Amino acid sequence: MIAGLPLTFAQPLLLLGLLSLPVLWWLLRVMPPRPRRIEFPPTRLLFDIRPKEETPSRTPWWLTLLRLAAAALVILAAAGPIWNPQTGVGGSNAPLVILLDDGWSAAASWDTRVKAADELIANAENDRRGVALVPLSETARDITLMPAGTARVALRQISPKPYSVDRVDTLGALDRFLKATGEAEIAWLSDGVDTGRGADFTDNLAKTIGDRKLTVFEGGAAPAQALVAAENAAAKMTVKVLRTTGGVAAGVVRAIDAKGSPIGEARYAFGMQDRESEAAFDLPVELRNDISRLEISGERSAGAVQLLDKRWRRRAVGVVTGATSDTAQPLLASTFYLTRALSPFADIRLGDRGAAQQVIAQFLDQRLPMIVLADVGTLSPEIRERLNAWIDQGGVLVRFAGPRLAQADDDLVPVKLRRGGRTLGGSLTWEKPQHLASFAADGPFAGLAVPKDITVNRQVLAEPDAVLATKTWASLEDGTPLVTGEHRGKGIVSLFHVGADSRWSDLPMSGSFVEMLRRMVDMSGYTAKPGAGVASETTNVETVTPLRTLDGFGAFGPPPSTAKPMPADYRDRATSDHPPGFYGPADGPIAVNTLAAADRIASLDTSALRAQRASYTNAEPRDLRGILLSSSLALFLIDAIVVAMLGAGLAALWRRRTAAAAVLLALILSATSIAPSPTRAQSNDEFAIKSVSQTRLAYVVTGNADVDSIVKAGMAGLTLFLAQRTALEAGDPVGVDPARDELAFFPLIYWPIVPGAPKPPQDAMNRIEAYMKQGGTVLFDTRDAIEAPPGENGAAQTPGMRTLREILSSLDVPELEPVPREHVLTKTFYLLRDFPGRFNSGQTWVETLPREEDDDAASRPARGGDGVSPIIITSNDLAGAWAHRPDGQPMLPLTPGEPRQREFAFRSGVNIVMYTLTGNYKADQVHAPALIERLGQ
Amino acid sequence: MAAETSQETREILAIRRADGESRTLAASLPRLVLEARRIAANVIHGLHGRRRAGAGESFWQYRRFVSGEPSQNVDWRRSARDDHLYVREQEWEAAHTVWLWPDRSLSMAFASKGARDSKLERGLIVTFALAELLVSGGERVGIPGLMNPTASRNVIDKMAQAMLHDDAARASLPPSFVPSALAEIVVLSDLWSPMSEIRLMLAGLSASGAHGSLIQIVDPAEETFPYSGRVEFVEPEGFGVVTAGRAESWASDYVARVALHRDEIRSETNKLDWLFSTHTTSRSAAELLLFLHSGMMAAKGSARGSTVKAGRSA
Repeated sequence: MIAGLPLTFAQPLLLLGLLSLPVLWWLLRVMPPRPRRIEFPPTRLLFDIRPKEETPSRTPWWLTLLRLAAAALVILAAAGPIWNPQTGVGGSNAPLVILLDDGWSAAASWDTRVKAADELIANAENDRRGVALVPLSETARDITLMPAGTARVALRQISPKPYSVDRVDTLGALDRFLKATGEAEIAWLSDGVDTGRGADFTDNLAKTIGDRKLTVFEGGAAPAQALVAAENAAAKMTVKVLRTTGGVAAGVVRAIDAKGSPIGEARYAFGMQDRESEAAFDLPVELRNDISRLEISGERSAGAVQLLDKRWRRRAVGVVTGATSDTAQPLLASTFYLTRALSPFADIRLGDRGAAQQVIAQFLDQRLPMIVLADVGTLSPEIRERLNAWIDQGGVLVRFAGPRLAQADDDLVPVKLRRGGRTLGGSLTWEKPQHLASFAADGPFAGLAVPKDITVNRQVLAEPDAVLATKTWASLEDGTPLVTGEHRGKGIVSLFHVGADSRWSDLPMSGSFVEMLRRMVDMSGYTAKPGAGVASETTNVETVTPLRTLDGFGAFGPPPSTAKPMPADYRDRATSDHPPGFYGPADGPIAVNTLAAADRIASLDTSALRAQRASYTNAEPRDLRGILLSSSLALFLIDAIVVAMLGAGLAALWRRRTAAAAVLLALILSATSIAPSPTRAQSNDEFAIKSVSQTRLAYVVTGNADVDSIVKAGMAGLTLFLAQRTALEAGDPVGVDPARDELAFFPLIYWPIVPGAPKPPQDAMNRIEAYMKQGGTVLFDTRDAIEAPPGENGAAQTPGMRTLREILSSLDVPELEPVPREHVLTKTFYLLRDFPGRFNSGQTWVETLPREEDDDAASRPARGGDGVSPIIITSNDLAGAWAHRPDGQPMLPLTPGEPRQREFAFRSGVNIVMYTLTGNYKADQVHAPALIERLGQ
Repeated sequence: MAAETSQETREILAIRRADGESRTLAASLPRLVLEARRIAANVIHGLHGRRRAGAGESFWQYRRFVSGEPSQNVDWRRSARDDHLYVREQEWEAAHTVWLWPDRSLSMAFASKGARDSKLERGLIVTFALAELLVSGGERVGIPGLMNPTASRNVIDKMAQAMLHDDAARASLPPSFVPSALAEIVVLSDLWSPMSEIRLMLAGLSASGAHGSLIQIVDPAEETFPYSGRVEFVEPEGFGVVTAGRAESWASDYVARVALHRDEIRSETNKLDWLFSTHTTSRSAAELLLFLHSGMMAAKGSARGSTVKAGRSA
């Protein structure tokens, strides 16, 4: 094997042939290429020039190099190179012991491991050696020697285990086997992960095998990654990702719900030397609560899966306070303490806006699993009823005492209460403030440390009865209950006999308060659906049976026969008895994970072992001869082509090269010209130049061919009329698309409305609006005055008007009015009373003129406002009246068809165009006589 | 054999093309009428008006009878009009023999890549066009060794027929023959033959005092030598092979050698008062024809001494 490269040669001696390359170099340099034969009539003249140079023409150095490379490739191919040769163990006849790591950490790269083992077995078969296959997870079985064929079958039957394997446990069996066998050769297919006692194993392995030959396979396969310590925190769900040093640098963790559908993905990345990273899912809590499985994407191993059960769900807790003026002193309010105490492990819905009853009803509608009522007094019967039903279905109701509760009387408390509270340590009492004495052993607070520093000044007292003691979860030193609770149906009602603020006791300020609330929350349902909570479960189940377990690759499957029922409170890492998976009832299973939250993984340090190292090779051995020979052939082909081209002369070659470059350039140019931007820009430029070089009328292209042709002819007709009658000699009219074309070049845009046409995209509407705002005028023509149904509001009911209204709905259109008699539009060129087109019944609308206050101004014959109306709406089909065929005949008949109607239609057009061009100039002209008079005389 | 047939085919094609092109070319020039200063009165009659009285068919002038003349000269019809005797004089008409030699050897078939016509085509076009012009001008045109001088109107057809049926070897230079002293000889060839052969030819043709023109028709490639790399140059007529290792380095020497060759030819022609010019096939055939037309029309005495070139040949 060449150092550093997985390359060997079958016949390395042939490589000596490479020594002949310099000779070949010399030969190739000397041999001239075959000359080109050219018939040349004045050759006889050339005879006289003859003795110019006798040295043979030199082959270009690169051509020589090409040929040398081809020759070298042939020599190399003859030497039989093999890429990724089979590594392995060989050369002796001692039996081969294969130690195979098969814990979860081996699963991700299991295939390469099996392939390596397969190769080892194949080699052993060639050498006729016995094979002992030792999966390191199987500690109990004795090691036996078997023929290679059997070993291969046995290898197929091994699959990685879903739990951490302690390699040390196998050493006993190995020791016994080695003592019995004597000479043996050992190959350890390591997964490179130390899950705890790696150093022990290597030490003991060295001792066990003594001076037998050992080969350690490591490296070459991706080291394992693992997930631990998933935590559903307040804002996001986090999970720790573990790796060994030098493993994968970054990746993705996927979250999957119970049905197997993906919920989210989170990225993680390791620092250079980090072995631990964190992935965080920033998802709404409802979604986070649905996560039942986290897995590293692309990593197939049980360690890369983290199963989540109800313990990871965050509950939503509704907090209702009966106090009204709490917000005045927020730091003294009960909700403040509750919020602070609950927020680390639950999502809090505060109900401080609105009456307590409403808020409770709202929470019940939201089907919250737990509601805290802080000093809520009287409740209406309906709410009580609903609360009771909710508790029956599994809701957890936690109440805190207070002045209001002390006065109220309802059945939503676990014990019967005495009227009025008890004040301790007050001026009228002789009792001292009481301390917390104990938590009931069978209550939910069992096991909590009893804080000694809590004093209770005031409490509500329970009526002593026979069952009070069983309902007491925490009691004071004098035996009176501090917390009571009872199961009702599937739910729980509990009562803190003190307030949730600091007035009655300092319990809300203690750490125990947080712990107690956590226990309460743990009892509540883990989904918003009542009835599935822990509180509803039969708590006396001691053991749970496996439901679904993970195999070594992290896939769910039926539990193996070796899986045993486990105690319901099992929280440790998985073992062979309790493989990772879900245990218990299908509706509320308990998860067992491959790794416990505190577990970490490390690289296995095998440097202490005196062993031969080998690495997993990912690839099959490849015979490189084919590649080398074919590439050599390709080189020879290139050489032939080059020689042919050289034969055609270097100049020709150069010409061809420039031609090729030109072709390439042309290709690049055409490729870039396909790219839309330059051509688009170019056409934009052309459009702009065309539009500004002459004043042009514009119309909106509707896409309806009939309408467009009529409108185009109409605008051309108007342009012609303008040129005949006025000083405006406009260019050919332009059809524009408001979505694409720049509109600012046109004083007037005629917009025929096609009934039912879709509204232009918002982008186009924005441009229209900008155009109107910047002084342009859009003339909308619905062209359907004749279709207007009779009646008061008929003109607004035509389909064209409806379409127009649809279009205008997203425009900032000013207030409109029918053209008043004194509007400047009626006087800009001709004196007009109305604006007929093909029809004369339609109304023409313009922007409302500002109301003139004084009578003098109002009576002026022409008023123009400050600018040009940005919008003119008509339904008279002006363009239809303007349209002429090429032979000069009108395209469309007029209705009703008075002879002068067409003339007046044109005059309307002239006035509108003049209006857009000159603005309110004509309105000012009414003063001209007065001005002239003043100037002249 | 195959080469020969292909050569024949090429020649046939060239003749056909030249036939057509030469007619259009000839139509574009006025009739070529040689000045006849040196032509004796007793040459064979032709349609050649000499702008002076002499033997001819067309009327020239009436002049007074001079005593001593044979009385048969008197034009009685004219003389009857008044009291004088008149002699009817005809315009002096004389035909003139022009020998054309289009080189049809293998070397003339050469055409480099950029050239419009091969040299052979160009030579034939000019030959035919010249023949047509001369014949329409009343001269007699012949090809030495191939076609006797003729003044036939369809001279192009005759020439083409003669060439097509010619089975003799195609020589580069005209065969040795003795033209009459007043004959005009036009040799259209690439003139790449060795100087000795050219000298021999010139000596033979001019021995009788005939005059003529040598036109060297060359391909652009033969002027500029645009070759590079390793090239084996083959003389098409089988005179040898030269291999140039780096042809680009031969170019300057070649150009100098060509210039020397031309200088030698020119010094020969100058001695004999012949016309010598070069023509490159990249230029138009009309240019050469125009040159020949004007050269033959011109007062040769003055033109001979100087070096005349057909246009701006490269």
